[in-house]
Amino acid sequence: MAIMISIPAGAIANQESTLSLTENLGSTITQTEASINQTLTQIDCTLTPSFEGFGFSPPDSGSGSTPPDFGGAVPPSSGSGNFTPGQFGGGSLPGQFGGGPFGSGGTVAMNETLYSDIASIENVAAVAAVLQASQGENQTMTSPDGRSFTRIVPEYVIEGIQLTSDLVDNYPILPSNITSGRNLQAGDDGVTLLSEENAVYFGANVGAELEILGETFEVIGIHGSSGVEDRTTLYMNLSDAQSLTDNNGYITSLQVFAENSEAVSEVANSISDLHPELSVSTSQQRLEELQALQSTYTTALESAEASVSQMQNTAFGEIVVAVAATSLIVLFVMLYTVRERTKEIGTLKAIGFSNWAVMSQFMLEGVLLSSVAGVVGIAIGSVAAPALSGLLLPTVAVLGGAGTFGRVASMGSPATVSITPELMVIALAAAIALGTLGSLYPAWRASKTRPAEAMRYE
Amino acid sequence: MSEPVLKIENLSKSYMLGKREVPVLSDFNLQVNTGEFVSIMGPSGSGKTTLLNVLGCIDKPTSGQVLLDGVDVTKLPEGELYKIRRNKIGFVFQTFNLLPYLDARENVELPMETTKKSKSERSQRARELLKMVGLSGREDHRPQRLSAGEQQRVAIARALANDPAIILADEPTGNLDGKNKREIVSLLANLNLDQGTTIVMVTHDGHVAAHTERRLFLHDGKITKEKQGLHLAKKKSVCPFCSNQIQTNEIFCSSCNKKLND
Repeated sequence: MAIMISIPAGAIANQESTLSLTENLGSTITQTEASINQTLTQIDCTLTPSFEGFGFSPPDSGSGSTPPDFGGAVPPSSGSGNFTPGQFGGGSLPGQFGGGPFGSGGTVAMNETLYSDIASIENVAAVAAVLQASQGENQTMTSPDGRSFTRIVPEYVIEGIQLTSDLVDNYPILPSNITSGRNLQAGDDGVTLLSEENAVYFGANVGAELEILGETFEVIGIHGSSGVEDRTTLYMNLSDAQSLTDNNGYITSLQVFAENSEAVSEVANSISDLHPELSVSTSQQRLEELQALQSTYTTALESAEASVSQMQNTAFGEIVVAVAATSLIVLFVMLYTVRERTKEIGTLKAIGFSNWAVMSQFMLEGVLLSSVAGVVGIAIGSVAAPALSGLLLPTVAVLGGAGTFGRVASMGSPATVSITPELMVIALAAAIALGTLGSLYPAWRASKTRPAEAMRYE
Repeated sequence: MSEPVLKIENLSKSYMLGKREVPVLSDFNLQVNTGEFVSIMGPSGSGKTTLLNVLGCIDKPTSGQVLLDGVDVTKLPEGELYKIRRNKIGFVFQTFNLLPYLDARENVELPMETTKKSKSERSQRARELLKMVGLSGREDHRPQRLSAGEQQRVAIARALANDPAIILADEPTGNLDGKNKREIVSLLANLNLDQGTTIVMVTHDGHVAAHTERRLFLHDGKITKEKQGLHLAKKKSVCPFCSNQIQTNEIFCSSCNKKLND
């Protein structure tokens, strides 16, 4: 009986977990959509690197700073000059370029006047100027064939961002995942937003005064990296970054935002026409990634929804069966008890117990029995429900463990069954109600037992 | 002594066996006075138990009257009968019928459960009764830890709990061996003698019936023979034939060897 009662409890818990998983998937899809919409309008412009390009660069931009090439994923043509956040895909493999002719160059920078040129192109909604400079140490290595080369091991990347209120409020130019302190705001000056790795590297926390390349900044916040791309990036005001790295008037990339996603390729073409020396990228790859992710989520959501509706049907069926079975079990147990105790009942009636007294005695026993059974059932249910849900809900269990979906599952709603106190109260109330129901007839039978019949019953 | 506590007039009781009516008792009359110790004997099927059940208000007669303490119980609805059973009648069963999960004291308290007595009063009364039947110190023993004779003593104490007008005993010694049999019947006889308890006892054992002063022989639902005998406990004492001193439980005089009552 206890287990019969635990089954509906498990089924309900199961269903709730699936529902919360579905909700979670829904919100993830919405977030992904927002991300896609923002990305759709975004165009990254960087100066195509060339030998001449190096010539323009300021000879000294801080202590041996060189833009690192993080990108295995970067198209070969963009070379070492390209470090627009959107395009860094893979792991950091600086050694790959270290021995080549580009490795020893200075900062590749665009003149700031490009900014106004591009901002005036039709359908451009906003342009954000960015200066990125990486700080690191030179390391001399010897390759297996005996040639020695120097590469830069980056320690941190300074990214200066134009902090106008329009950009900050409406475009995704700042990291979104702030783990402590606050994000950068329009008009911030002399402050910096560190990554978690930066915070460890500098040993600085929110509110600390931090000296970077000889200048003092206040740490206003710490951002959690959303991937490898900005794991070591600290953000600050563009002008701060320019003066700090001695790059006044220079920027390393422009983030252009088109009015809408349809205008993106048109705007990209216009930029290429106007400034052929710029490498223009529309984040197509990123977009495709996001769309693939969205479709995975959507599939998972559909599957989870189907599973929930199936689950609801199954759970309803189970509850009906369990309720019927529980009442019948109580009924038969109590009937058996009454039959077993005919003599006792007869005796009670013969020595002066009223029908009502006998009936209430047996009702009380039935209710007590099922309450105890209910408590035991809840105890078993809380232990067994997760295991049961695994058996009853294979779809979600498999999805929960698989790749991309695993991230969803870990995003705050683990796919485990929890027995809430509310559920326990419901289960106990159900047990007592069913116990009462099942005891009613046997108790009535008991009260109607003729004492004369009971007398000689052996 | 002559006040009738039980008066049965024109009592008939028949059972339906399929469509056939089987008469068990027909036109039965009996009067039992306060303080009497009556035994009813007869072969099986003679209607002993049916009679006792009708007297005990646990079976309804087909016709006739049963006046118990002046109340015609045949006219009472079931909703009232339980009060008669509780307050006026004490039952002693052949198989004791103690509740196995209650100890001796709790079993004795059982009939008082639905009365107005307080818990301490009930407990006090149960102790007194157990002491009276000779079970002091065994109050907290459960039936399974008591001998058959002791269990029947508890049952007798239980029957006395609400100070009933009459004790109805259905083969009270049927499940007991010789020694216990004598002890139980002596206990009943002494209750009758010392406290004036009215007792109607069904038995088929002549030795047991020999303790009662009035013996009824039942055959086919009718009283065929009635004997007034010597109440052994009451007599306690002297052989009517040779005036020799006799033991309470003896059936034959140890001196003249004549049968003491018949």
